[in-house]
Amino acid sequence: MRVALYVTCLVDLMRPAVGMAALRLLEAAGCAVVVPAEQTCCGQPAWSAGNRQLAADMARRAIAQLEGYDYVVIPSGSCADQIRNVYPQLLAADVAWARRAAALAERSYELSSFLAEVLHYAGPLAEFSGRVTYHDSCKGLRNLGIKQQPRELLLKVPGLQLQEMGDCEECCGFGGAFSVKFGDISTQIVDRKCDSIAQAGAAAVVGGDLGCLINIEGRLRRRGDETTQVLHIAEVLAGKEV
Amino acid sequence: MAAAKHSQAMFFQARAGEKIRNKVLQKALQKAKPLFVGKRAKAIAALPDDGFEFEALRTACVDIRNRVLGDLDVWLELFEERARATGAEVLWARDGDEICELVIDVARRHGVTKATKSKSMLSEEARLNEALAAAGIRPVETDLGEYIIQLAGETPSHIIAPAVHKTIDEVEALFAEEHGRPIESRTSADIPAMTREAREVLRQHFLSAEMGITGANFLIAETGSAALVTNEGNGRMVTTLPKVHVVITGIEKIVPTLEDFATLMRLLPRSATGQSISNYVSLLTGTKQPGDGEGPEKTVFILVDNGRANLLGSAYQEMLRCIRCGACMNHCPVYFSLGGHAYGWVYPGPMGAVLTPLYTGIENALDLPHASTGCNQCASVCPVRIPLPDLMHRLREEQVERGLRPWSESWALKAWAWLAGKPALYRWVVRRVSRYLQWLADADGRIHILGLAPGWSVGRDLHVPAGRTFHELYAARKRA
Repeated sequence: MRVALYVTCLVDLMRPAVGMAALRLLEAAGCAVVVPAEQTCCGQPAWSAGNRQLAADMARRAIAQLEGYDYVVIPSGSCADQIRNVYPQLLAADVAWARRAAALAERSYELSSFLAEVLHYAGPLAEFSGRVTYHDSCKGLRNLGIKQQPRELLLKVPGLQLQEMGDCEECCGFGGAFSVKFGDISTQIVDRKCDSIAQAGAAAVVGGDLGCLINIEGRLRRRGDETTQVLHIAEVLAGKEV
Repeated sequence: MAAAKHSQAMFFQARAGEKIRNKVLQKALQKAKPLFVGKRAKAIAALPDDGFEFEALRTACVDIRNRVLGDLDVWLELFEERARATGAEVLWARDGDEICELVIDVARRHGVTKATKSKSMLSEEARLNEALAAAGIRPVETDLGEYIIQLAGETPSHIIAPAVHKTIDEVEALFAEEHGRPIESRTSADIPAMTREAREVLRQHFLSAEMGITGANFLIAETGSAALVTNEGNGRMVTTLPKVHVVITGIEKIVPTLEDFATLMRLLPRSATGQSISNYVSLLTGTKQPGDGEGPEKTVFILVDNGRANLLGSAYQEMLRCIRCGACMNHCPVYFSLGGHAYGWVYPGPMGAVLTPLYTGIENALDLPHASTGCNQCASVCPVRIPLPDLMHRLREEQVERGLRPWSESWALKAWAWLAGKPALYRWVVRRVSRYLQWLADADGRIHILGLAPGWSVGRDLHVPAGRTFHELYAARKRA
């Protein structure tokens, strides 16, 4: 099974360990993993800003880079949503590209849903001693139906206890450019998320989208929480590289 | 556009900052949110106990609303004919100014000096209270929340809970002043007593007003009736005691039959307040007939466009399905960080972020369609499945198409897209940025002030990258 790993621009720059962890998981599951060399950004910032033309240009490029594999796996719900749900509607008016977009969309998966639904992944898994709480990122949860998949995987991790936080489906306030344009509103929202995390009393908050995680980690640290770990699910499942 | 001159939506950013710093407001909002969300969730979860299924009901409601919007002119003509047959007068208003003119004209014809009002967001679109007062007619809001904000000289901050931004202490201060008594120390246990006090004052107004003004949750075409969904009973007083009853409502509020109304009622109160049915549901048809114990001698419907007809057949038509339940704002993280006043016009939250630019001009509300994290909670609870995030997104696209975005944003996006199309250069730049961020970081590996995104780092620390990009690590691993 030839699987393309699309690491996302944010992981490439801000937390490469997430990409490496995803790579190890997919390889451990027996996939022939390829990291398409031309990959850059899926175009979500242009799309969110309402710049349809730039977003369509970036979508065409990404499609050309990513088609031709059995699956494309993305360690991010929002980028996976972009490829699965946005590309087809973005290119709907262009018959040839619409067909290519639809073909790519149905082969593209967010990492935890790919591991759980397609691979039925059961290990190898790293150990984790302690309680973790899972933050449901909005795009993954509401646009891709990712809810049980990450929990199913986490519960298989030896030593890990899952402690749900209150309002785990509430937005963390990131929203890409939103958190820059409306920094104070975003801070207000992430503060409520940090309160929920604190109340859950977990050693780590885990999620599937790096944007949300950077946002949550940034606020926790500014609030003076130096201990709660903020981890991508790939990092928990694969553990630290030895 | 007449509505635009009263909109403060261009000051969203500044107002948002004020609201966030307002500790009293924040306390009120944090108290209200779990109540709204919890009650609705419980009511929706209990639907199967009554033999209903949420998604099937939603589909039925969407179908009813779409059927109406598909032939709105036909349904409106039918309504007009049936309403006239019951003895009511039917008038049409193009905008808010015309609403005011018509209401004042009706008032003058009947020698009205005081009008009691039940909640009406359309009268907010028209700023009717100001116009009435200027014409020498005293408007008295009788919904408890509306009564409170009228005393405070404010506008509603929520479409079904207009005073949600007020704390009990603020209400007590307003009541003490209006009712001419000293301020007392109050807790939530005193709410019934405070309500009774307001009720006693309002009773005098109910009995002395010559005109009652209400909105309508729905207009029923087959019977020519207005449907009113309320909890306090004030709607009954306003519609039956005065000799004149004026109903002001949007042209999109029509539904074909009573059966359709019953279907919509299965979701409206549940979505709004988590009730399986509201305390009062009134169907108001025509005028007082011989033998009737109560009812107005004169009923006037004012059916209002104020921007609605423009949405028919447009990319935004789905917005007209809205039944004004407030569930979108009740589940919106942005709304509950700010309250409704920050949005600057009549409608707040996600539905306001769509309606305000459409009714007051896209160029007059540039921030609103962007004031969303894209979390999609609103669409996931909307009883008539309005794709609110998609509509906000369409408004963002229209801003771009009409050249309304700042040049810096357009330039940054173009530069990013250009760079993303040159993978080798892109890799080199990302490597440099990675090193640069590491250089910026303090000894603790964090950036506390990020010049590139000052708004972001006001409330957050950025944990810096490892210093090497994924593609560098991957290349090194392949070599090894």
